[in-house]
Amino acid sequence: MFKQKYSLVLLALLLLFGIVLAACSSDNEDAEEDPGTQEEEEETEGTEEEEDEEEKTEGPQVGGTITGAMYSAPAGMFNPIFYEEAYEANILSFTHESLVGQNESLEFIPGLAKEWETNDDQTELTLYLEEGVKWHDGEEFTAHDVVFTYKSIADPDYVAAGGIRTSYVTPLLGYEEFNSGETDEFQGVVAEDDYTVTFKFAEPNINPLYYASFTIIPEHVFADIPVADMPEAPESRDAGAVIGTGPFKFTEMVEREQYVLERHDDYWQGAAYLDKIVWKVVAQSVMTGLLESGELDFIADPNGIPPADYETVEGFGNIEIIEQPDFGYQLLGFKHNHRTAEDVEAGAIEPDNWVPNEKLANPEVRQAIAYAINREGLIDGLLYGRGAIINSPIAMQFWAYDESATTNYTYDPDQAASILDDLGYVDVDGDGFREDPNGEEWVLNMDYPTGNEIRERSAPLIEQMLEEVGIEINLRQPKEMSAYVEDLTNDNSDWDLYLLGWNLGSADPDPLGLWGIKDAYNFSRWNNPESDELLNNALKAPEAFEQEYRQEVYAEWQALFSEDLPALLLYAQNSLWAYNNRLHGIEPLPYSMYDNPHLWWVDDAE
Amino acid sequence: MYKYIIRRILVFIPMLIMLSIIVFALAKAAPGDPFTGKILDPEVDPAVFEQQREALGLNDPLPVQYVNWASKIATGNFGESMYYKGRSVQSLIKERIVNTLYLGLFALAITLIVAIPIGIYSARNPYSILDYSATTFGFLGLAIPNFFFGLIAIYFLAIKLGWFPAQGTITSTDVSGWTEVWDRVHHMVLPGITLGLAGTATYMRYMRSEVLDVLGSDYIRTAKAKGMSERNVLYKHTLRNAIIPIITLMGFEFGALLSGAIITEQVFSYPGLGTLFINSITNRDYPVIMAITLLLGVTILIGNLLADIFYSIVDPRIRYD
Repeated sequence: MFKQKYSLVLLALLLLFGIVLAACSSDNEDAEEDPGTQEEEEETEGTEEEEDEEEKTEGPQVGGTITGAMYSAPAGMFNPIFYEEAYEANILSFTHESLVGQNESLEFIPGLAKEWETNDDQTELTLYLEEGVKWHDGEEFTAHDVVFTYKSIADPDYVAAGGIRTSYVTPLLGYEEFNSGETDEFQGVVAEDDYTVTFKFAEPNINPLYYASFTIIPEHVFADIPVADMPEAPESRDAGAVIGTGPFKFTEMVEREQYVLERHDDYWQGAAYLDKIVWKVVAQSVMTGLLESGELDFIADPNGIPPADYETVEGFGNIEIIEQPDFGYQLLGFKHNHRTAEDVEAGAIEPDNWVPNEKLANPEVRQAIAYAINREGLIDGLLYGRGAIINSPIAMQFWAYDESATTNYTYDPDQAASILDDLGYVDVDGDGFREDPNGEEWVLNMDYPTGNEIRERSAPLIEQMLEEVGIEINLRQPKEMSAYVEDLTNDNSDWDLYLLGWNLGSADPDPLGLWGIKDAYNFSRWNNPESDELLNNALKAPEAFEQEYRQEVYAEWQALFSEDLPALLLYAQNSLWAYNNRLHGIEPLPYSMYDNPHLWWVDDAE
Repeated sequence: MYKYIIRRILVFIPMLIMLSIIVFALAKAAPGDPFTGKILDPEVDPAVFEQQREALGLNDPLPVQYVNWASKIATGNFGESMYYKGRSVQSLIKERIVNTLYLGLFALAITLIVAIPIGIYSARNPYSILDYSATTFGFLGLAIPNFFFGLIAIYFLAIKLGWFPAQGTITSTDVSGWTEVWDRVHHMVLPGITLGLAGTATYMRYMRSEVLDVLGSDYIRTAKAKGMSERNVLYKHTLRNAIIPIITLMGFEFGALLSGAIITEQVFSYPGLGTLFINSITNRDYPVIMAITLLLGVTILIGNLLADIFYSIVDPRIRYD
């Protein structure tokens, strides 16, 4: 009896084996084709380039499919008002649009709104919309869609449903009343007629266009779905059901693997040249290989190509690399103060209760540490030179970034040592490390998170640099980001130095939110009233309507920052985006590669 | 026998409850919650996250949170993911488990097809050239980490030679019918081999030593002395006895079929349960963590039960009552 059963199993196994063999054999066929075509390509490379030139002069061709890559799959939320991650943004930037965009000098430029005006005290912004813009399902785009979008974000249920973009609506007139449910009328955004919409602000606003720059969702699609149910609605997550005004429609997906965008024929700026854009999720380790083989055509945000692979990819010959500074920076933070245990428990941020961190209280000590760190070396060694030194926490693409106002802490261990010597931080017990001026042991704790490999590798290097000038560092085990941020937030601990990175928005250089005294993200608990005063002055109407005025105030603030050092800014990494040179028409912006994708075309379209 | 099975299944229930309490406690003991791990975004007010914690009940006392979760489970509702907004845990698992199951079974099939014949051959011709090379291969297979073998396979077989696709489960969305099945199998070859590699080595070694063991035993000598043909000795006596430990091994690995592919899935960007599990742990997506753990618990228990049942089929000396 057993024999029979066993033979059955054997038979089943044989069958499977057969399938495997079959799989192999047909793969061989594929393989025979593949190397062949590759060789041909190589052989004809020379002539092809010439053809390239010719085709370029011929101009764009219609048709073709390109493939983009990202390293992680989107979480699956394709509703602009609920998405959170850069992976979704990759798709949404092709399918959805905003009233206004930004050009290469970060000025706001017309998008779905063709022109606009503000009233004298900048409490109202009136935008005139493009007419004849069609949603992917053929309905017309109107001012009511704009009103609907902002109303949804201001909705009482929005945050509980998972929305996080409230910063776009909080300054609008009547937000509180609408959000608390007191009234059903939202005064903040009003449709004057089908093609005119007015944003009304509670107070004069210095950058009203920023608030008008949010991506618009279609009212006719979502009108019957309560905000609380929007995240689970198919219209927010399913290919084909997601509707925008952009040049491409999101038509198909294999979840966590592939996301297919197809041309929107009724696009208001003219139909795109490309037929399709396919996004694939690939592991970072194989990305360069796939770029070389042509299986991938482009890779951009959020990670691009790793700095270590720059030369390899450049050497492929078929890949163009776009290199420009990122909007963001990595920092070595100095804990100026710690909160008390009671405040942490209560979630309160009360600068009056803060306990100063004596170990780093003297600004000169922080400056000495800054001089002791070889930032240039970190950039050369870890980023392969693909980064820049940044001296103040404002992205350097902004008009507000002013390097001349800041102190550039160039690597100078001797100066670091002499500052510490002068302050009385000397080694009295001969253990090779300095003691504090009272002769007590002086050990700085240093913490860092995992998740960013370059940052992880910088931690021991920084420890070493500081120990070289005689500062004893207790470099602790790295923590995973969730745990790390919790510890940073609940900061009634013994933390002194910490590593962290910030990604900044491209809309406005205002550093409030990160560096204001009461900001939750002010993890250094930097308590300098002068700083808050400057930051608030820079936003005060009506003076701040003038960019020059703000520029001056920010210069002053940056000087203060680099002197008082709530953190030493280590570097700004360059973003490295790459695309296959069969793809043309790419005009990158400082913050994105995806500008006017309807003008992209490939020279080998069939 | 049936009584035995029912009794075993009833014992599952308290075990699963204990398991869920332990996992819940451990998950909660880990610092951070679904919101602390979010990429820090200066444009988002941290107060927003506080409101969302409140809405999700993360500020409730732990026992309350557990009871809330458990009472929902009792009605068959695993709740909603905290990370994948608006997705039910069921739909997330359902979407992934198919991929993982296919991959796991495929890998197991490769493993058995390769390991068992080679194991038997090695045992019958010990210290032959094939035995030595199989042994060497076995140790190599055990020693090479999955991700490394995966990368090598991708580099040579997918990128350089172009025989197999390197990533994902399907080439494009426009295939259907047999082409689709075909395409999926094609995509499974590299991750399947990678995943099966260590298993192949283990099974092969087991098979070899078991068969050798059995071949040296008295009853085999008796059978041979009776004049039984070599073939019959092998199939009727040797294999039947040698297969028992393999069944145990498979019983244990039943759970690993679902969970064991984490690294392989990452390397091949293969969207399965393993990656979902890892993601939910890093994102502190408690409902998903709990659901997957329970699922793994159930499969491992069932795997062991099946192994026990198969024992009694292969080995008549084993009887349960």
